[in-house]
Amino acid sequence: MPPPLQLLQTGRSIAVRSKGSRPTSYPIPLCLRLPQKRTITADEKPLLEAEQNPGPNQDQLPHVSEEAATTARITGEGGPEIEQGTPVQEVLKRDVKAQENAPQVIKNDTKSSKPKGTRSYSTSARHLAQTQSIINLGPAELEPSGHIYGLPDLPLPSTSHIKHRYDPVVKQVTNLLMQDGKLSVAQRNMAMILERLRTAPPPTADPRRPLVPGAPPTTHLPLNPILYLTLAIDSVAPLLRIRSQKGAAGGGVALQIPVPLGLRQRRRTAVMWILDAATKKPSKGSGRTMFAHRVADELISVVEGKSSVWERRGGVHRLGVASRANLTIRNRRRGK
Amino acid sequence: MSSHIPLQLTMSLQTCWRCLSKTSKPPLFSLQHPLQSWLLLPATIAPFTTSASLAKQIVNSPKVPKKKKENNVLKVATGFRKKSKKPTDVGKGRRPAPGERKALRKRVVLSNTNALEVHGLQDIDAESMMNESFRGQVLGIPGRIVDRLRAVEAFKVPQGWALFRRPAMLMRKETLDFGREVEGIARDEKKKSIRRVYVGERGSGKSLMLLQAMTMAFLKDWVVINIPNAQDLISAQTEYGPVPDTTPTLYAQRNYTATLLSTIARSNPSLTDLQLTQPTNLSDIPIPIPPNISLARLASIGSSDPEIAWPIFQVLLSELKKPSRPPLMFCLDGLAHIMCDTRYIAPPEYKPIHAHDFTIIKSFLDHLSGAENLPNGGAILAATSNSNNPVIPSLDLALSQLRGNQTVERDPFAKYDERVLGVFNKGGVEVQTIGGITKEDARALMEYWAKSGVCRQRVDEGFVGEKWTLSGGGVVGELERAVIRMRV
Repeated sequence: MPPPLQLLQTGRSIAVRSKGSRPTSYPIPLCLRLPQKRTITADEKPLLEAEQNPGPNQDQLPHVSEEAATTARITGEGGPEIEQGTPVQEVLKRDVKAQENAPQVIKNDTKSSKPKGTRSYSTSARHLAQTQSIINLGPAELEPSGHIYGLPDLPLPSTSHIKHRYDPVVKQVTNLLMQDGKLSVAQRNMAMILERLRTAPPPTADPRRPLVPGAPPTTHLPLNPILYLTLAIDSVAPLLRIRSQKGAAGGGVALQIPVPLGLRQRRRTAVMWILDAATKKPSKGSGRTMFAHRVADELISVVEGKSSVWERRGGVHRLGVASRANLTIRNRRRGK
Repeated sequence: MSSHIPLQLTMSLQTCWRCLSKTSKPPLFSLQHPLQSWLLLPATIAPFTTSASLAKQIVNSPKVPKKKKENNVLKVATGFRKKSKKPTDVGKGRRPAPGERKALRKRVVLSNTNALEVHGLQDIDAESMMNESFRGQVLGIPGRIVDRLRAVEAFKVPQGWALFRRPAMLMRKETLDFGREVEGIARDEKKKSIRRVYVGERGSGKSLMLLQAMTMAFLKDWVVINIPNAQDLISAQTEYGPVPDTTPTLYAQRNYTATLLSTIARSNPSLTDLQLTQPTNLSDIPIPIPPNISLARLASIGSSDPEIAWPIFQVLLSELKKPSRPPLMFCLDGLAHIMCDTRYIAPPEYKPIHAHDFTIIKSFLDHLSGAENLPNGGAILAATSNSNNPVIPSLDLALSQLRGNQTVERDPFAKYDERVLGVFNKGGVEVQTIGGITKEDARALMEYWAKSGVCRQRVDEGFVGEKWTLSGGGVVGELERAVIRMRV
């Protein structure tokens, strides 16, 4: 008997294409790269297999034919075909009693085994190897026509999803700029910030205030304002925050405990500091571009190492180093 | 000292606003910075309103000595009073000078040194402006033309000039058509004049079409007069006064006219070669004008003295209509603003004055409607605006009828202004709709953006198609927002 055809599996393997490599002029530092794996959001989170309760139809006895096939495998006789379904002719071949009760058409059919008529197309199944040799053509030969712009490269970029169409840093900063839920105003401000970063003269980096390792030369930054923004924020983002635990030091004195921050939290802290510094600056002109220009100027001064945000970051880090001994307290208590 | 910009405190007194000394000579325009923006609307104090005199009183009044506490004995404690907080803006440093913040807001930046220089970018010239082979190409604007366009304030702040290395423009279909018309006027013996209103969606390039038209006029050595923003003329930000012996009374905006004359003198170098042919009438212009002076000198005389600016503007226009003068281009942006009542009021009823009663507006509309013709040919162009415009039902009606839509009926509930409809009644005014650009043009534009380093995506058919669709079928302003500004 020919093995069952598995057209679906072979067909699926065709669609996979080699991922095209993107040319980059300079290596993007690790922290600036987009996350390769998207975390699962609430609306698409699958339930774990182990947590599912057994349903009413689970763990039941196998089907009659499956049972018969198992018995036949044990006894060594030819049982029913499970995967493909057994043709009636085969059942009749095994069962003599059934041959007598079979309808007249089938009886006639079994007597004359050869087909009488001729068909313009073949109805017999091919061997698997033969089929695979036909299907497994190169992907270029199977390029389906009829697509105006061709098929997209797989996997799709994460920005093609409507909820993730903006750069993650740009989206986060836009949301932090937003006041009173006015997103479009925040987006306009964001666009003006990026335009200011584009047109301002390239910054001169201060060696005493090192940027994130692997950063491109600062002259490259104005033409890539998103990288400029990301670099400024990531460079000045603190690694930790100080949590003061009340009464932990004894005598009602709060204990300073350093807590590490995640990537988004670090960026959020940095952006809030930058916005604080920008709102305190005086405007040079008038009009709706002024706030955006102040924020952009603050970002530039961060990259240039002139911003007061660096002192805030240094203060938090110094306090974290000083209070690192307090980290053991919680663990000791838990151990007890 | 004379290079400083004089501030007009009263009509006859010229005072330098930095050193407060009187100027004896009119300021030399060659000494002024040639690229000054927003000059058409200088900060002035209107002499006929009370605010100036009030301001003067405040300035001139001697310091009132503080009243001494007369009898401390009688003063009774009135209870606990919260101390009022003093404003703590001491450490903010120097406060901006008057007009400084506005100057920063209105500053037009035409170059971005960060942007890449586009190799092989050709400049537009008198040949390429009508050559069909340049359709869908981006051509640079030559530097001397850029200076003149800047002088007439053809560049606007929200346009994206600040993103690129140097100003350049796309040769779209409407541009090349206009270029051929300009060439036809130069060749034609009959000296036809174009009277046209550009309409279209917001961001579709109406103001830029005016800029392109002015570029071509400068390339052909036409004389260009431009009113960059018609709202300046009606928003009561510049002084006005009645013109004597006019019925119905016309109103002149003397300071605006003076600055317009100085703009004309600076932006049209060809005026230095043209001479005054007729001696001026002393009853119109009280000061003697020397004969045979150049028209540029005439304009600068008018710009130095607002009192005679309007008569000199009239003389200049009539001189430009004399035979063997170059064609004239008169442009105005924001047409709807000059089709309604202004913010100015006039005695005896103290009701708003209609915009058509102002001399500069009237002069423009007379040329647009065909009441006054241009014997040497030329173009009278107006552009509507969709981002900041009043609702004028009569203008909408007239323009839609001129566009060939005769089925538009009058709204029974709207107020129609017969003066506005009368402008377009005489016929001859064309209405051209500026729509979206084609996909090929959009691709050329996006390739230029990519070459400038502003657009970082790969410009292929899919990308162009996506953005072209997103921008409502190639509306250039929206295309720019989608490609350059929004997602970068």
